[in-house]
Amino acid sequence: MLQALREVEGGIQLSLNVAARLPHLRRAPILESFLRQVYFTGVTAAGGVIPRACGLGVIIIAVMINMLDADVDLAVKILLLLVFREVGPLAAAIVVILRTGTAVSAEMAMMRVSGQTRALRYLGIDLYDYLVLPRVAGCMLATLALTFYVQFLAVLGGLALSPFIIEASFWELTNRLFELFTPVDFFYSTVKSLLFGFAISACCCWHGLNPPDLTNNAVPKVVTKAVTQSMMLVLLINAVFAYVVFGILFFGLVKANV
Amino acid sequence: MSELAVRYKRKTPRHEIQVTAPQGAVSHVHLPDDNAKAHFVTALLKARGELGEELELFGEPAATVPPTRREKLRMRVGAVSPIVGLMSNLNAWENISLPAAYHGAPPLPEVAQLATDVLTKLGAEPDYFFARLPDELGLLERKMASFVRLLVAAPELMVFDALEDGLSYAECKHAARFEAEYRARQPNGTVLYVDTREDS
Repeated sequence: MLQALREVEGGIQLSLNVAARLPHLRRAPILESFLRQVYFTGVTAAGGVIPRACGLGVIIIAVMINMLDADVDLAVKILLLLVFREVGPLAAAIVVILRTGTAVSAEMAMMRVSGQTRALRYLGIDLYDYLVLPRVAGCMLATLALTFYVQFLAVLGGLALSPFIIEASFWELTNRLFELFTPVDFFYSTVKSLLFGFAISACCCWHGLNPPDLTNNAVPKVVTKAVTQSMMLVLLINAVFAYVVFGILFFGLVKANV
Repeated sequence: MSELAVRYKRKTPRHEIQVTAPQGAVSHVHLPDDNAKAHFVTALLKARGELGEELELFGEPAATVPPTRREKLRMRVGAVSPIVGLMSNLNAWENISLPAAYHGAPPLPEVAQLATDVLTKLGAEPDYFFARLPDELGLLERKMASFVRLLVAAPELMVFDALEDGLSYAECKHAARFEAEYRARQPNGTVLYVDTREDS
């Protein structure tokens, strides 16, 4: 219990520190580190992992449309409600956790264990400035970009595949999608994916900088804990968002007054 | 009597350690064991003594220095030490230029010029040296990178912590040139060689 409280307090402190230091992103080494993070999290993931994740999403959509015996309206609603709002940000978040979360937490823990963080302090370099801020900011931006990429690919894949399952043309489905699409969908997934990126990177940075001990054995423990908690945070944020924005939690058992 | 750059006192159940180093001089300190050495170097780098330690830097008692002044005091001390290692994910140039790039001074072209000059004098080929990661450097080369990184910061007190540890005889002769390079740039600087006693 005490440990959990310590983690929550540490997470809040880290978040406030990052927010207060955002202007420091202009400093050359921090900006460079930020760009590296964006490249690692966003660009390198876009090549292979994301298209595969989207392919899986498209197959799920195809199965659902087939099982529910959907018409044009239902097929588009599935694409919008499920793929655009939920699967897109979640798939991107999972990819970020698996690729970046593991790397960031292991790298930070290794730096802590090998005394590199101590060396930075002796050089007058702030750990939050140099290590945490670029990773958190980079991860947020990259998660947002990946989310849009997943949404675009998955919706496009769903639209391309649906005409083979239901009696509707690609253009018919596309027109209906644009009719049903609202700015709320866009803002919803934007804010959610930024929060996902923030939660994942902040959680992984915090665990990386606070290993249980200063031996090499601590590194895998840190990675396991960081990944598990990041996943839990993402699911929690998703549930809270669904409750706040659409008033539905636990499959409709709890309803918000919105 | 010349002023002291360092005055340090630590009492443990086994030892009583006292170190003094006059400003501008070269001093050799032999401490009883690695633990005592690590305590001493850490206290200098933090500009703060732990419980049971007394430290004065440049005539100022570290215990009573306010945090803002302590930061300035810390910047006057530098150490080539395993305690202040290189960043493993940055190449030698990035390691050398990191503090200057972060603090915004001195300008990077100046850092590059200084690093190239010093490395050339120490017998390294700068371009090849700069491009390598710490894991690709030998022990002497890692110490050289740490030393050049410190020269950029121009500390008034230069600590060489077990400088010859792990080096061959030929490499020790290279490392011995560090002091002259430092002296050439900081004529009034204080040099402190710290090591453990050979019988310990």
